[in-house]
Amino acid sequence: MIYIGIILGCVIGAIIGSMAPVIPYTYSSYLSIAIVAALDTVFGGIASVIKKNFDLKIFLSGFFGNSILSIALTYLGEKLNVDIYLAAIVVFVGRMFMNLGIIRRYYIDKWVTMIEKRKNKKVKEEVKE
Amino acid sequence: MKAKITITISIACTALILTMIMFTQFKTVDETDITALETMRETELRTELASWKEKYEDVESKIEETNAKIDEYKKELDNDANTAELLQNEIKEAESYLGYNSLQGQGVIITLKNTELRDIDYSDILALVNELNAAGAEAISINDERVISITDIITVKYISILVNTKRIQAPYIIKAIGDKKYLESALNIKGGYIDLKKSEEKSVECVVDDNIIIPAYEDKR
Repeated sequence: MIYIGIILGCVIGAIIGSMAPVIPYTYSSYLSIAIVAALDTVFGGIASVIKKNFDLKIFLSGFFGNSILSIALTYLGEKLNVDIYLAAIVVFVGRMFMNLGIIRRYYIDKWVTMIEKRKNKKVKEEVKE
Repeated sequence: MKAKITITISIACTALILTMIMFTQFKTVDETDITALETMRETELRTELASWKEKYEDVESKIEETNAKIDEYKKELDNDANTAELLQNEIKEAESYLGYNSLQGQGVIITLKNTELRDIDYSDILALVNELNAAGAEAISINDERVISITDIITVKYISILVNTKRIQAPYIIKAIGDKKYLESALNIKGGYIDLKKSEEKSVECVVDDNIIIPAYEDKR
């Protein structure tokens, strides 16, 4: 059911997004940093599901809070003439890789155990024969 | 069950928002012309502005150079015009010396007439011209024949008088332009030309005029 919701949301979002008007190029840098922050939160959420400590409140607050905060920091950086958005990208992308690593390890583990189980089954069947 | 539905809806909502923003961004990046001025970032605009400024300064210096050159040429042109004018003036002066221009001014008119006693001889005219020249006449004419440097005053068998190889007839009216007082006094001086001629019983009349016109030398050989 969750997967259906995710797919439905993605499809509707893609349709709305491709119909939306073009944003001025100046603001597109803010939007891109918000996207990176949101993606980071999504991967974090998946990782937390795997770790079995997923909390919807934390996920939602992270999703919106990180996006808005990164936009605010980028704006501040522009005002201070410091490229703060670079720091934000480094942090978010680094965390993304970390979470992706967790997810990867989890699925590789799952895969390996599955293969081993099959092998054991075969061995057992051979023993029976 | 209820909790699962809320989780599903909220996650679907986040997925929707995320994909929506992403697709908007894709579209923006895709459709924006980065080289267009309106979409440039501040730093890019700054560099662009600096390069344009440099170009502008280059062009301005070139304009200055060209203007200076134009000024120079203009000056030269003016100089040429001045020289041309000067030459023209010189030519005019030379022409008036040569008698190629008609002249107008103050001077004297001398009328020599044949009388019953004595005819006017060519030498009388020659002497008069000589006298006038000595008195500083600028231009002389004999019966409207301009006297110039190559003018000949001769006689043919003492019957006719030729000036500029043209035959002239009495009365002989000799006009001279110059300082009228000087010319008159040079002629009327005691023992001068008029005295002399009168003593030879020849008819000489001298009139001072403020507006004498002497024609140009006609035959430009």
